Amino acid sequence: MKLDETRQGPPRLRNYLLPILLFCIAGVLLSYFVGSHRYTQRIILLVFLWAAAASSFNIISGYGGQTVFGYMMYVGTGAYTTVILFKFLGVSPLLGMWAGVAIAVLIALIIGLPTLRLHGAFFAIGTLSFPLITIPILNNFGLDEMSIPFTGHGAASMQFRDIRYYVLIASVLLAFILIIVQKIELSRFGYSLKALKQNEAAAEAMGTDTYRTKMIAFMISAGLGAIVGTLYAFSIMFILTTYTIFGIFIMIRILSITIVGGPATVWGPVIAACFLVPVGELLNAQFGDRYPGVQDIIYGLALIASIIFMRDGIWVKLCTVFGKSSSKRASATRPVTVEAFQTVIPVTDRKGTQGSIRFESIQTQTAENRNTASILKLEGVSKSFGGVSALKDVDIEVGEKKIVGIIGPNGAGKTTLFNVINGFLTPDKGRIFFKGNETTHLKPHSLCKCGIGRTFQIPQIFSNLTVIENIMLGSFNRWGDVEKAHAIAENIGQQMGLSSRLYDKAVGLTMWEVKSLEFSRALATQPKLLLVDEPMSGLNPEETNRIGDVIKMIAESGVTIIVIEHVVQSLVKIADWMVGLEDGRKVTEGTPQEVITHPRIIEAYLGAKWRERHARS
Amino acid sequence: MDTVFQLIVSGILSGVSYAILAVGLAMIVGVMKMINFAHAEFAVLAMYFPAYWFLEWWGIDPFVSAFIAFPIFFVLGYLTQRLLLERILGAPEAETLSVIITMGLSFLIANLILIGWSGAPRIINQPYTMATWPVGNVVINKAQVYSLVISLAFIGALFLFLNKTLMGKAIKAAADDAEGCAYMGINLRLVYGLAFGVAIGITGVGGCLMATFRPFNPFFGETVIVLLFSSVIMGGVTSITGALLGGVIIGLMQQLSILVVPIGLQNVAVFTLFVVFLYVRPQGILGKKGRAV
Repeated sequence: MKLDETRQGPPRLRNYLLPILLFCIAGVLLSYFVGSHRYTQRIILLVFLWAAAASSFNIISGYGGQTVFGYMMYVGTGAYTTVILFKFLGVSPLLGMWAGVAIAVLIALIIGLPTLRLHGAFFAIGTLSFPLITIPILNNFGLDEMSIPFTGHGAASMQFRDIRYYVLIASVLLAFILIIVQKIELSRFGYSLKALKQNEAAAEAMGTDTYRTKMIAFMISAGLGAIVGTLYAFSIMFILTTYTIFGIFIMIRILSITIVGGPATVWGPVIAACFLVPVGELLNAQFGDRYPGVQDIIYGLALIASIIFMRDGIWVKLCTVFGKSSSKRASATRPVTVEAFQTVIPVTDRKGTQGSIRFESIQTQTAENRNTASILKLEGVSKSFGGVSALKDVDIEVGEKKIVGIIGPNGAGKTTLFNVINGFLTPDKGRIFFKGNETTHLKPHSLCKCGIGRTFQIPQIFSNLTVIENIMLGSFNRWGDVEKAHAIAENIGQQMGLSSRLYDKAVGLTMWEVKSLEFSRALATQPKLLLVDEPMSGLNPEETNRIGDVIKMIAESGVTIIVIEHVVQSLVKIADWMVGLEDGRKVTEGTPQEVITHPRIIEAYLGAKWRERHARS
Repeated sequence: MDTVFQLIVSGILSGVSYAILAVGLAMIVGVMKMINFAHAEFAVLAMYFPAYWFLEWWGIDPFVSAFIAFPIFFVLGYLTQRLLLERILGAPEAETLSVIITMGLSFLIANLILIGWSGAPRIINQPYTMATWPVGNVVINKAQVYSLVISLAFIGALFLFLNKTLMGKAIKAAADDAEGCAYMGINLRLVYGLAFGVAIGITGVGGCLMATFRPFNPFFGETVIVLLFSSVIMGGVTSITGALLGGVIIGLMQQLSILVVPIGLQNVAVFTLFVVFLYVRPQGILGKKGRAV
């Protein structure tokens, strides 16, 4: 296969490191040249600290979309643990900090394990009650006010006369956090986070363990927050009180900086901290004695205004104004071919060594036991929803390398059948076997890894990702490495005719492109079995034929396909075998001709009268 | 035993004072599928204005102010919905956005009160504030009893409004199926504005009533809001009777917890129960399964 000139590799971390380092060095230099002006240095320090806190918060809440309104819990835990260890046991904050991180991560685990299963905003408020529980408990133990004892200047006690040392530490910390955030953004983990933020079910079907991904992001955020909290306590506070570190105002400032700057961007929180913090501090210095709440009014106003007028944040706005948006690349669209699954894709990995990826040739593997083995077997599967049974005692056996069509009127349980097969639903009764192994209770992401791919009746595209990133989410299941996953995704995208759209955001696609993307994404997971839910809905007759050809070609490459379709005449053309469902029961099964002439099916589709009339004639 | 009776009585009394705030919150969550984090802060605003300042300026009794508060806070609520929350209607993740935006609003109100009227704790001193009726060995605070009666009257009126008037029925219909309402020619924006106005109006009443027997400061709302969420969650999130029940349970929990934990930890007991509820039964006591938020 000849490579396109337009081919571009995935973005690499090293291209992004320079600005981060430059920014942090610039901050340090600025504080150095400000000299003995402590007030200005304090502002620079605060900018770094709030930017660091907001960036840590951004990982779970911006990228992962799980807004943790109780985030001050982790900042506070870090600060309190380190100070308690330092004050009562004389442990250096440099060591104590890690205890703080460990406890914060542990608390995140304890809070996250049950709450991350919850959805919606009440989850967010649930997390908020933890700091509110913590405050009275600490107060009750007489820890509501703790001064940090002064033990002499030095790095070991993290106490310096010159604020510039703190600025130096804070800038290193910020650089560290920003690099982590950037690394996440460019990794599989980051794509998974963005995907689950938009659509958890689809991310799960694409092989993302959403629960685990959220949990890890939560723990990273909590741990980083604890480090920031420690530094905040030692550099700014001197006297730690429960209300100043576990209080809601900490949360509102972090939230405000993140939202104003731009959630799920590396630079957004930093930029927002650069102007919100100095403005707040200056107002506080000017009017703080007469109007004590003036600083927080700025944060509150900025938060409300940015949600109403600029929900994506300043950073995204700046990017569009200065034209950083991706330009469209036009390249010829190739026709879909089976080749996609047999080509060798050259890749250059990070170290510059040439390599190649070859799709596993599914065909040769399965050729031997083609007729004997069944890839999927359902035994007496039943599923009901609160008394309404959607599936009743369904037995289906699907042989390898077949196209199986499933027909039945609305409400016959077709989509429920798919949801049971790919793990969205667990059957009430019955067992499911995939390639001989029982998979009844597996979750969608594990089934995806086993080789069950799926497209949806209503296409579930991640519109906050580009087309190729959508496909990469699929290919990550087989190739964890970004470079390789990108190469595979690009190849599949081109074969499916999406070349000209690969680097566009997946919004405003035509119905055909959406369907092609759904197929590409599912194929990128290298399925052995592909579940296709109403592929022809929303397409015109010509496209309907084309999608039929695509399905046939995919089957020829060695993938077993189960298709749900209402357009019976199109299904008959491609299916090797058909199953008729009605009211959750399997009514009939056989060759397409047998099934569509079966009286029950005719009755279900066309009514009993029609059948009687035609039976007579 | 008398202590327990005393705690139960004061638990119910303070519980109903939470309940009148919680019913408004439940209505907002139920109708608009939004969460008003500023709910308690509106009540705090009502404690200052009209309750505290009307008494200071013109000598108007807070119980009279409670009735004046309703129209004032109705307008405030209506404007909040039309100017702020309407902008995020239908946006993806509107629920989370509503928490964020009202969190900012809550913070704004609290700090404006701080700037305008200082952070000093305030108390309303009227003849009934400290007066009590002894019933056996149990003492009952007069201000709390008056509040209870007025609260229940307002909750009852809200119930009648929602069930008996055309507008109330429109609000209930919008809660069930907003899209369907729009097709039936119901002006959703107006309905939402009215629903929010009524909810905040009744909260203003609740604030005035609470001010007659509790000291308050600008940040009083931060603690109350989570108590309100606890009440709403326990009551089944969107149910008004549920929120009433939830409020009373929270009040009882708060008071009875004194028997086992130090007084400083009484809210810890409530919040812990709240968290347990979130995990175990997110649909609340009266809520139907599957309607969990």
